[in-house]
Amino acid sequence: MSVAQVAPIVASVWKIEVAVGDRVEAGATLAVVESMKMEIPILASVTGVVESIPVEPGQIVQEGDAVVVIAPDTGVPEPRAAH
Amino acid sequence: MTQQLTAPADLHEFGEDPQRAALLARRAAKAVRVVPRGNRTFTARERAEQLADQGTFVAFAPARSREPGIGAGVLTGWATVNRRPVVIISHDAAVAAGAIGAVFADAVQDAQRFAIDHGYPIIYLNDSSGARIHDGIHALHGCGGIFRLNVKATRRVPQISVILGPCAGAAAYSPALTDWTIMVREQGQMFLTGPDIVKAATGEDATAEAIGGADMHTQTSGVAHLAVDTEDEAIEATRRILAYTPTYAGGPLPESLPVGPDAAAAAELPYVVPSKASVGFDMTQVLAGVVDEGSMFEIMPTRCTSVLTMFARLDGKPVGILANQPNARGGILDTQTSVKAARFVDYCGRFGIPVLTFVDVPGFLPGTVEEGRGVITYGATLLRAYAEATGPLLTVIVRKAYGGAYIAMGSPSLGADACWAWPGSEIAVMGPGGAVALLNRRELAAPDDPAALRDELAAEYRESVARPWLAAEAGIVDDVILPEETRDRLVASLRMLTA
Repeated sequence: MSVAQVAPIVASVWKIEVAVGDRVEAGATLAVVESMKMEIPILASVTGVVESIPVEPGQIVQEGDAVVVIAPDTGVPEPRAAH
Repeated sequence: MTQQLTAPADLHEFGEDPQRAALLARRAAKAVRVVPRGNRTFTARERAEQLADQGTFVAFAPARSREPGIGAGVLTGWATVNRRPVVIISHDAAVAAGAIGAVFADAVQDAQRFAIDHGYPIIYLNDSSGARIHDGIHALHGCGGIFRLNVKATRRVPQISVILGPCAGAAAYSPALTDWTIMVREQGQMFLTGPDIVKAATGEDATAEAIGGADMHTQTSGVAHLAVDTEDEAIEATRRILAYTPTYAGGPLPESLPVGPDAAAAAELPYVVPSKASVGFDMTQVLAGVVDEGSMFEIMPTRCTSVLTMFARLDGKPVGILANQPNARGGILDTQTSVKAARFVDYCGRFGIPVLTFVDVPGFLPGTVEEGRGVITYGATLLRAYAEATGPLLTVIVRKAYGGAYIAMGSPSLGADACWAWPGSEIAVMGPGGAVALLNRRELAAPDDPAALRDELAAEYRESVARPWLAAEAGIVDDVILPEETRDRLVASLRMLTA
C-alpha cells in the first residue's frame, strides 16, 4: 500500500527534490514547503520508491494534503504524529 | 522423649482466645496472593508497592468489602515516593473487573479527601471496567463524587493517572480531570464505550487499541500525555514527574544537587541558531546547552511537536520548559498546540514550578481552518495560564517573536519576571515582509521592480524596528544577551526568585 507524505501545515510548495521512480530512504527530504516564512521539509517516513507527486511548485497545499506518495519496500509504515 | 511445651498456667486456664484466633485466620487468608486477572502480571497491591519506596505502602481500611471477603475492587493507601508522601489508589481488576460500585467509590473518595486534607499527591493506578451496573444509581453517584474530588484536588495537590488495563466510562473520565495520564501500550486503553458496545450502537468494528490505545491517545486525541511499553516504565515516569513537583501547591521545590549543562551542547550553544531566519533548527540543542545535564524529561512528546513541553533542572531546581520547536511546522502556535502548551504552563503555575520559556515563534497560524477550530478561545488558554502562574517566569527570546504569539510565549506583559533576547532576535508586531506590505503600500504600488524594493524595505525594517535593541531601550526586554550567557542569567534570577 502506498504511503502519502502529507503537508503538516497549510503551505505553498517551494521545491520538490525527488522525481517519480526515485528510490528514497526513510528520513530523506522529498520536498520543501513554505509557510509562515519558514522552510518546512517534507521527509520520507518509509523507504521505498516515489510513486507519484500530486503537487507542483507554487501550489497551495492544506494540512493533510499529499505532497509525495511513496510505494514502501515492505511492511507497515511508522505511525506519525497527528501534528 | 520430646519435651511438651505448655502455655503459662494462668493463660492456659482460659484456653485459646477465639477473637485472637479469628484475627490471625483472617490475616492468613489475606496473605494468600490473589491471582491477577487475565494476563496481568501484578495484583493491585503489588502495583502500589512497586510505586512506593520499598516497604512504605500502608493500606487504608484494606478489609473494606462489598460483600464479606470480596474486597472493594480498589486498594487505597499511603506511602512515600522519592521519600515524600503520596496517596495511592490502585484498582483491583481481580474483583469484578475493577468495576466502580458504591463501596469502591467510597474508598476512593476517602483516600482523595485524606490527600487533599494533608496535602499529598494522588496517584491513580487505573484498571477498571467502569461503573458497576449492579449498583445502579449508587455507582453513578459514587463516580460523580470521585470526579468532584478530582476537581477539588486540582488546586491543592498533583494528580497522576496511570492506565494499566482497559478503562471504560467513569474510569476514563477521572484521568481527564487529573494532571497527567500515562498509558502502557497494548495493555492500557481508555474509552467511554468499549468495542462491544460500539459495535452494537453504530456497527463500527474497532479494536480496543484503535478506540482508546496509548498511541491513539498520545498522538491523535491528546487525552493521554505519555505512552510507555511496560508497567515498570509507567511507574518510573510517575516517580520522575513527582520528582519535579512540590508535594502540594505552595510547597517547597524538590531540589537536587546542581550539575552543569552537557559540556558539548554548551560549547555549541552560540552556533545552534542558523543565520537565515527561514531555516529550522533543533531547539532541544539549545535547551541541552542551558539546563542541568541529564535533567530533561519531555511530556506529550508525540503530539503538537511545534512546541516542546518538558521538565528539567536548573542549578538543581526543578523547572518547566515551554519552547518552540522550529524543526516542526516552523515552531508555530495554533489551536491544538496552545492547548498542549497551556496545560503544561497551567500545571507548573498551580504548583509554583518555575517556567522557562524559549521563544522562536513565527506567529499563530492564520486562516479559515484555524479560526474555525476556535484558535481565539484556545490561544487564550495559554495567555490565561501564564497570567495565573504563581511561580517564577523567565523568558529567553532565541530568534523570532512576532505579534500575538510574542505575547503568548511568556512575555513580560503576561507576568514574566525577566526576559532576555539573543542579539539576532526579531521582536515585532509582524514579520518584516508583512509589515512593509502594510506600512509601504503606496511606495510598493508604483515602482518598476516592487520585489526588489520590498526586499530592501524589509531588510531595513528588520534592522531598524525588529531587532531587540528597541525592546531593551523600552525596558520591556531586560537585556540583550549572548547565548552562552543564558544559563548564568537564568540561574542568578532563579536564585533570587526562589530565595
